[in-house]
Amino acid sequence: MPLSLVYYAKEFFRREWAQKFFAAKTAPLETPPYFRNFPELTGKTCTHHLFCMMACPAPGAIDVIRTPEGWKPRIHLGHCIRCGLCVEACPNGVLSSGRVLESMFYDNTRLSFSFRIDVDRTKCMGCGNCAVACPVNKLIDAQMSHGGRASTDDLLLKVSEGKCQVLHVEKCTGCKTCEHHCPNEAIRVARLLEAVHAPEEDL
Amino acid sequence: MTLLQSLKNLVRSRSIHVAYVDVGSCNGCDIEVLACLAPRYDIEQYGIFVHNNPREADVLLVIGAYTPGWEEKLEGLWEKIPDPKAAIAIGNCPISGCLFARPHTLVDPPVAKHIPIAAQVPGCPPRPTEILSAILSVAPTVFRDYEVRK
Repeated sequence: MPLSLVYYAKEFFRREWAQKFFAAKTAPLETPPYFRNFPELTGKTCTHHLFCMMACPAPGAIDVIRTPEGWKPRIHLGHCIRCGLCVEACPNGVLSSGRVLESMFYDNTRLSFSFRIDVDRTKCMGCGNCAVACPVNKLIDAQMSHGGRASTDDLLLKVSEGKCQVLHVEKCTGCKTCEHHCPNEAIRVARLLEAVHAPEEDL
Repeated sequence: MTLLQSLKNLVRSRSIHVAYVDVGSCNGCDIEVLACLAPRYDIEQYGIFVHNNPREADVLLVIGAYTPGWEEKLEGLWEKIPDPKAAIAIGNCPISGCLFARPHTLVDPPVAKHIPIAAQVPGCPPRPTEILSAILSVAPTVFRDYEVRK
């Protein structure tokens, strides 16, 4: 009997036992490496395509700002829902989050944007605001007159025969400037986001 | 502050009572709060007791984008909580409204317009560990200088 008491005392007066008893805690839980957290910058150069902002489903979650080092995407906490679409949509891999970039590499998938411009010919009155405002047109033909008429056919938009004509839709960057400058809501830009599984020969 | 008071505040800060209120969320953050109660995250080992009685609560977890049904009710609920108290916004909805804050919707975020918010946990939804660490970081400040302030 006294011997068992000694054993009990030996067991219960150990420091480890006392520590475990008074501060019982599970091991601190670590965030697993595959957790898709808020996107972080990888340090690659942003080319200001703004595909991240176009793909983002949450209002006000991401914007691209100009810094002395160049363009830089900025994530707003409290708006970002950690879906990872900006990481996938970025053509340069500027952002990274969890294993999104790795799985894109192994599965050979990517999100690709394409743009389609629809001009409602009954509403269009040929004012040329869209063609003049278009930043792509401005790079090709800086001398374009106010009516949207130009001599070259390399342009994205051009007014001919009193209506707006879409000449090279593949040059569109999806900025929707034409849409904002149209007084009649005649021009509409559709942003098409497709998940592409690149074919094997592209590897 | 006397030694007794500081001792009392120390003990109080180790037993936090939490109430949570859903002011119109999609239920995602509610599930993450419930995950905190489950054995994996086990919120009670930190001395935090979650129940839904604002009369006993110290910390209020606000979840959701503040729908019109909660006008005047949330303020009343905040008044019911005895001092000292703190409110934590869980998830994006009470911070910014997130996906629901679009033109012509009825939600009225942020919740900080209606009751004072002490901490915000961004995420849609936030991880249970993030909720836990937010409550734990608010807990010492809730009771600090409590009796002196009073």
